[in-house]
Amino acid sequence: MERTPAIHVENVTQRFRVIHERPDTVRELFARFLRHNASFHDFDAVKRVSLNIPKGQMVGLIGRNGSGKSTLLKIIAGVYRPTKGTVQVEGTLAPLIELGAGFHPELTGRENILINGLLLGYSKREMAEREGSIIEFAELGDFIDAPVKQYSSGMYTRLAFAVATEVDPDILLLDEILAVGDAPFKQKCLGRIESFRERGKTIVYVTHDMQQIRNYCDRAVLLERGEIMAEGDPEEVIRSYMTLWSPEAVAAAMTPVTS
Amino acid sequence: MLLMIQLLRDVVRYRELIWALALKELKVRYKRSVLGFLWALLNPALLMLVLTAVFASIMKFPIPHYPVFLLCVLLPWTFFSQALAYGAESIVGNGDLIKKVKLPKMIFPVAALVSNLINLLLSLIPLALLVPLLRHPFYATWLYLPVPMLALAIFTLGAIFFFSAANVYYRDVSHILQVVLSAWFYITPIIYPLDFIPEKFRWIFKLNPLIYVVNGFRLAVYYGQLPHLQSIAASFICAFLMLFIGFYLFRKHQNDFVFYV
Repeated sequence: MERTPAIHVENVTQRFRVIHERPDTVRELFARFLRHNASFHDFDAVKRVSLNIPKGQMVGLIGRNGSGKSTLLKIIAGVYRPTKGTVQVEGTLAPLIELGAGFHPELTGRENILINGLLLGYSKREMAEREGSIIEFAELGDFIDAPVKQYSSGMYTRLAFAVATEVDPDILLLDEILAVGDAPFKQKCLGRIESFRERGKTIVYVTHDMQQIRNYCDRAVLLERGEIMAEGDPEEVIRSYMTLWSPEAVAAAMTPVTS
Repeated sequence: MLLMIQLLRDVVRYRELIWALALKELKVRYKRSVLGFLWALLNPALLMLVLTAVFASIMKFPIPHYPVFLLCVLLPWTFFSQALAYGAESIVGNGDLIKKVKLPKMIFPVAALVSNLINLLLSLIPLALLVPLLRHPFYATWLYLPVPMLALAIFTLGAIFFFSAANVYYRDVSHILQVVLSAWFYITPIIYPLDFIPEKFRWIFKLNPLIYVVNGFRLAVYYGQLPHLQSIAASFICAFLMLFIGFYLFRKHQNDFVFYV
C-alpha cells in the first residue's frame, strides 16, 4: 500500500555551537577579541538523519539522554531550522514538547486556552468552539476562571494536554509528557492518543517507557549520539537499545510494571 | 518595499494572536490592582497634577499653560520610551516559548507596540480633560493627531525590531538603551521649545528623527496649527527608514534567535 509521507526528514544535521563561557556582554566579547581565543566547539546533536514517517503511523523515538530525540522532535516541529538537510511536513502539527509553554501564570485557565490555541496556530473562533470540551477533558471545574498560578501541577498538565489535543492536529509530537499526572489521567491521555491513532493521525512519541512503545507504536527508531542506530519493529529496536545498557538496567526494564 | 508588504501581510495574518498578546500584556500589567485599567488613565492624570503644581506655581516657566505645552509631547514620548524599553525585551522575554513552539517571531515586537499604543490612546483622555480645565483653547487640529501618531508608531516599531534583535545577541543592549533613552529625552524639545536653542546649534537638533513627530503633536494640541508639509514628510521618511532597517535586520536573524535566547 502506498502511503504519502506525513513527515519527510532528509539528511538532517543540527549543529550547535557550544561556547565555553559564552561572551554575554560586549565587554567579554571585546576581551576575547583582543586575546584571539574564541573558545567554542561545534557539536552535532543530530547527524545525517533521514526519516520518513507515513501518514497514520505512530513512531516511537527512543535513545539515551542526550541522544538527540528532543532535538529531532524540535526540528520536525519547526522550532529549529536544521544546519543541513531538509524537513517537509504535510498537515497541521501540534507539538506537545513541553506542556503549557505558552501559559501565563497570572491569567486564568480560560484566558490561557485562547492564547495557547492562537500560539498553536488556531483561530479565535476555532478555540471558542472547543473551549467547552477542553475544560471538560481537563476536569478543572470552577478552577477554569482562576489564575493558572493557583493550579496544581496535575491541573496544569491536564489543561495543557487538553488544549494541545483538542485542537485536532494531523500530526502530534509528544515528548515525555505522560511522566506527570496520576494513573487515571495517564490512562485518559493514552486513550486519547489511541483514538488519534485510530483516526489515522500521525504521531511521533518520545518516551523512556518501553512498555508504551511496545503497546502503541507501529515502528521504533533508536537514536544514539545523534544518529539513527536502528529502526523498524519496536521489539527488535528495543532489543538493540538494550545492548547500550548495563545488565542491571536491562533486568530492571524487563520486569513488568505493575499498575 | 517588498519587505514592508511582507510585514503588513504578516500583521494581518496574525492579527488575532498579536491582539491577544497585547491584551495579555495589559491584563497582566493591571491585574491584582483594585483600579485595574483605570490606572492607564490615572497615571497621566496624576502626572499632570504634579507637573502643573511644579511648573505653574513653583518654577514660573515663561510659557503659558505649560502643563498642556509639556504633556502633549510628553505622553507620546512616554509611549515611545516605554514601548521601546519593553519591546527590546520582547524576544528574550519570550525565549521559553520560542524554544518550544514554531512561531512567527515578529508577533512579539508588534504586540509590544500595540499594547503601548492602547496605553497612549487612553492617556489622551486625561489630556483632553486638562485642556479646558486650564482654560486652554481646544483646537480642531486635535483631529490631525492620528497623523503624527502613525508616524511615531512606525518609527517605534522599527526601533523595537532593531533593539529586540540586538538584545538577543548582547544583553548589554537593554542597559545601553536606558541610557540612550534618557539622553534622547533631553535632546528632544519636550520640556522646552526648540526656539530656546540658539540658531547656530539648531541643525544638530534637527538630526533627531523624533523632532518632526514631536513638532506635529505640539502644533496640533498647543498652538492649534498644522505642521508644514516638509515636516510631515520628514517624519514619515524617518519612520519608514527606521522600520526598514529594523525589520530587515530582524528578519535576517530571526531564525537564529532560538539558539541564543
